[in-house]
Amino acid sequence: MRSEIKITLLRIGIILAVFGAWEFAPRVELIDARLLPPLSDVLATLRQLLSTAKFWSHLAATLHVTIVAFLIAVPLGAVLGILIAESRFALEVFKPLIFFIFSIPKSIFLPIFILVFGIAFWQKVAFGIFSTIFIVMMTAFAAVESVRADHLRVARSYGATTFQTVTRVYLPSMTPVLLEAVRLAMIFNFTGILLAEMYASREGIGNVIGAWGQGFQLKQLLAAILLVAGLSIIFNETIRYFERKCEHWRG
Amino acid sequence: MTTAGTLGNVDVSDLSHTYAAKGQKSKALDSISLNVETGRFLSIVGPSGCGKSSLLMMLAGLIRPTSGSIRVGGRPMEGPDPSRIGVVFQEASLYPWLTAQSNVEFPLSLRGVDKKIRQARALEALALVGLEGFANSYPHELSGGMKQRVSIARGLVQDPPILLMDEPFAALDEQTRITMGDELLRIWDKTRKTVIFVTHGLSEAIYLSDEVIVLSGRPGRILDRVEVDLPRPRTLEMMSEPRFVALREQIWRQIKS
Repeated sequence: MRSEIKITLLRIGIILAVFGAWEFAPRVELIDARLLPPLSDVLATLRQLLSTAKFWSHLAATLHVTIVAFLIAVPLGAVLGILIAESRFALEVFKPLIFFIFSIPKSIFLPIFILVFGIAFWQKVAFGIFSTIFIVMMTAFAAVESVRADHLRVARSYGATTFQTVTRVYLPSMTPVLLEAVRLAMIFNFTGILLAEMYASREGIGNVIGAWGQGFQLKQLLAAILLVAGLSIIFNETIRYFERKCEHWRG
Repeated sequence: MTTAGTLGNVDVSDLSHTYAAKGQKSKALDSISLNVETGRFLSIVGPSGCGKSSLLMMLAGLIRPTSGSIRVGGRPMEGPDPSRIGVVFQEASLYPWLTAQSNVEFPLSLRGVDKKIRQARALEALALVGLEGFANSYPHELSGGMKQRVSIARGLVQDPPILLMDEPFAALDEQTRITMGDELLRIWDKTRKTVIFVTHGLSEAIYLSDEVIVLSGRPGRILDRVEVDLPRPRTLEMMSEPRFVALREQIWRQIKS
């Protein structure tokens, strides 16, 4: 218990130190404030940005694409993954192929997506799905593998129907792993979509981040980075909270 | 929870089983015939891979035999039938996301038994195996022996006349195994179910059983049926008595040959 407190304090200390260095290094001119504006300036810029309708519309555009891509990629990937993993033959055929595709950096396909879909809404959605679906499928394979044969045998020996086997054995076994899929999916999805926006788009947070970078507007750039980082961490930790709740029985 | 009459009879006649693995056929069991009367404690021993577990899985209706017939309580077995047979596996195979009580209730809940009745029966079964007070514990909070007790309670909760046990204590340490053996005999004495117990422990088989079936190596055939004429209740001291030692040697010689 004591070492847990120590660890937590140390973590907080590191975060504060980073933020502290960020605040004071430019102030004491260790770093050029044009390259790294102090944290307080950046936060003030962020507050200001959040008070403009334009910034909100960029944010909304990105979230819209992200949510649509997420809502398609996760169920689709999970269902495809489970269906494939349920058939030993299909698993042997597809598993290595999915792993091959997974190992390729998705960013190199971005120009192709632009050629096919243009640079509007559905191109971002398509690229988000493409960035996400393989990790979801791979996690779904792992989810099916996490269902133990002896658990299925017990259900069978006590006369479980197929439906009962799915709801009483498959689902509870797979839930923690599938939640992990959801979490990883959001990271991959968000990364893909921001990249697509930075590369070629007319709106979205990725788009303004790209523009501010090129325009050397570091306060705005860093403010947007803080915001995106904060949103991602909040989402990730929320899912992790549910993961832990579902895993209490793992002891 | 006492079983009488013929409901717990098990009749196996001319049972054979051939596996087809990777295009090759492999005979696991060869013309097994045996009958067990209600309330008897029977063990099956034999070298590893002799098909003793397969035989048990066939009795449980989990594997379909290639030929021959199985009748339980006078009726043929055509698939898993939890009202006639409870099964206890080597791994306790409890669902880790359910409490001990919910694990025991599991077979009842599959049949849609009313919640109140389910709870009462589960608590009764847990008490029978000496686990009152652990109803709300999760499997990871229980020791190996306690998990296996929960598994036995799950096997007994529907009050089937027959309990099949597949090396249930093999994964436990020596001391726990002996305690669990005594516990099992106590439960058996109270319920008088037919027990068919697969094990590779010869002493364990003799200590627990009325009769020991000795199977040969692959394909498994019945080499001998040894009547254990030791008085009950069995005690640890009996294990060093000449009769016990003689039985053990008789069985060992057959397995070795």
